[in-house]
Amino acid sequence: MAQLDPTAIDLRFTGARGGLARLGRIRVPGWLALLLRNPKSRTGLLIVGFMILIAVIAPLIAVAHPNDFNLLAAKQAPSWHHLFGTTDQGSDVFSQVVVGARRSLLLGAMAGAIATALAAVLGITAAYAGGIVDEVINVLTNVFLTIPPIPLLVVASAYLKARGMVTMAMVIALVLWAFEARILRGQALSLKSRDFVLAAKSAGESTPRIVFGELMPNMISRIAAAFVLVFYIALLVDAGLEFLGLGDMSATSWGVTVYWAQVNSTVLQGEWWPFIFPSLALGITVLGLVLILAGIDEVSNPRLRTERVSRKRRLAVLFAGRAAA
Amino acid sequence: MRWFARRLGFYVFAIWIALTVNFLLPRLMPGDPIAGVLQHLSSAQIAANPGIIKTYQALLGGGHHSIWADYVTYLGRIAHLNFGVSTSNYPTPVSEVIGRTLPYSIFLVGVGFILSFAIGIAIGMVAAWRRGGFTDSVVVPAFMMIGAFPAFFLALLGLYFLGLKAGWFPIQHAYANDIVPGFSWAFVSSAFRHSQLPIITIIAAYAGGWVLNMRTVMINTISEEYVAMAHAKGLRDRRVMTRYAGRNAILPPLNGFAALFASAVGGLVFVEYIFSYPGVGFTLQQAVLGNDYPLAQAILVVLSVCVIVANLIMDVLNFVLDPRLRNS
Repeated sequence: MAQLDPTAIDLRFTGARGGLARLGRIRVPGWLALLLRNPKSRTGLLIVGFMILIAVIAPLIAVAHPNDFNLLAAKQAPSWHHLFGTTDQGSDVFSQVVVGARRSLLLGAMAGAIATALAAVLGITAAYAGGIVDEVINVLTNVFLTIPPIPLLVVASAYLKARGMVTMAMVIALVLWAFEARILRGQALSLKSRDFVLAAKSAGESTPRIVFGELMPNMISRIAAAFVLVFYIALLVDAGLEFLGLGDMSATSWGVTVYWAQVNSTVLQGEWWPFIFPSLALGITVLGLVLILAGIDEVSNPRLRTERVSRKRRLAVLFAGRAAA
Repeated sequence: MRWFARRLGFYVFAIWIALTVNFLLPRLMPGDPIAGVLQHLSSAQIAANPGIIKTYQALLGGGHHSIWADYVTYLGRIAHLNFGVSTSNYPTPVSEVIGRTLPYSIFLVGVGFILSFAIGIAIGMVAAWRRGGFTDSVVVPAFMMIGAFPAFFLALLGLYFLGLKAGWFPIQHAYANDIVPGFSWAFVSSAFRHSQLPIITIIAAYAGGWVLNMRTVMINTISEEYVAMAHAKGLRDRRVMTRYAGRNAILPPLNGFAALFASAVGGLVFVEYIFSYPGVGFTLQQAVLGNDYPLAQAILVVLSVCVIVANLIMDVLNFVLDPRLRNS
């Protein structure tokens, strides 16, 4: 089932060579050139790159401090003066979205990175060590998959008094590592009987050395894909918790802006802008990440590429293949 | 049968771990949750419920007993479904609050999730069968886009455009205010009407995952020899799609059903909160904001058990559909 997994890729086997490739005049790493050649991942990379750029230059393009309020300018629909309108308190929604991108993206990336590190160490160790270690980690992973993550996070963050960025990233990562560990374990299993692992083993290398020195470097593209996956799930989960009022409500982020829109029931009053713009920013970022994954998937599994093939022709190819075999 | 016994053993173990996580959670977190809970009760209310403090201490910690004694009391109370009194619904016991709200949630997520599965599988199957056709090039990307947006956003969009602007659906609560819940036609039709928008939201949020999953598996299945064989026999196209390729391609997505169900239970929290739908998700959000930890903890236990039961049902279904499991 490995080829069905969006993260089951190894770009080294798909024609991407190490080192640099040419893309027009610019020299870029081989894997990037490969992803840029696929229309889906190209679009995804552009979207995510754009969002990161916005987050980086946020202080330059925000027209006001995100929490500045002005009751005289409250509840204004989008206009040239307030591009995304204003909130109930008269804060500028555009500034909130732009500045909020920083916290949202950073928290998502942090949670994704912690979860990926945990999952990579546990999943790959389980696959390589086998036996009782594998049993224990595998059962633990599967048990964690049966506890619904959002309710668990809701209850866990309810006990937290201070919900800083690092704390929230860690809590989210601790809940999300399990399903990533399952994916990486499956992929490490298919790698563990390769010659280079057997060679290292017969040379007397220790388990940690083989896991960190042999398996992990060879799975780096798969680990990166798994990171993209958890990154976007963490983005959604974090915004969701903030939306329920379970984040750092004094901070500026996409989820917090939607939370205040909901608390002030702006939707019921017909004000769509305070919730639509931050949610769109979140959704478009997630879409970008999903497209990157879909592109990776197509690069590694050519069958998935969309092409118009008539039924007759497909059958002809199919039977020709059988005849030749 | 041995496979089945193994699964059953795993679920018992999973429930035990879920209970233990639930037990440890308030004890590992900083702060004193029990003080927060007792704040909401007057001394007269505490006096009226003998044993309530002991129950709370077993659930949340903070007593003078050893952690092991607490653990034994905790498991005992849970076995008797005694989660104490809900402070935000005083004097209703937690178990009664859950008993009242759970049916709404099971209905919402059950219908919504099964429909999203059926719709997603059908679209994914057709998209893979007619590569590059309308379904593949328009419907699939549309579902992919919708699926990228958070569940709360889809719910808010539905509330605003379909409920508020178009006025097609009622936007809040599970039934009209002037109706008493019961087995009357008025109640059932009102409840059905109020569940439509939340269910549409759940379908929109979760069908996309099935579409992509089914499409991928189906594309790989189509190039199998038995599909070519079925074509060669001269069977009708539709029959080959559903009975040959589709029937085999459905197994991997079905295996993922349980894992996605756990995440759909999370989506339920948002959907119920936005539509003020009186299920356990909405109750959980209210409990957490009101420091009603006994209620929140109990809901987490109940939701974990629900996910495990769903897993079990899926296993039985898998057993029926997959002859390889039956014969091994």
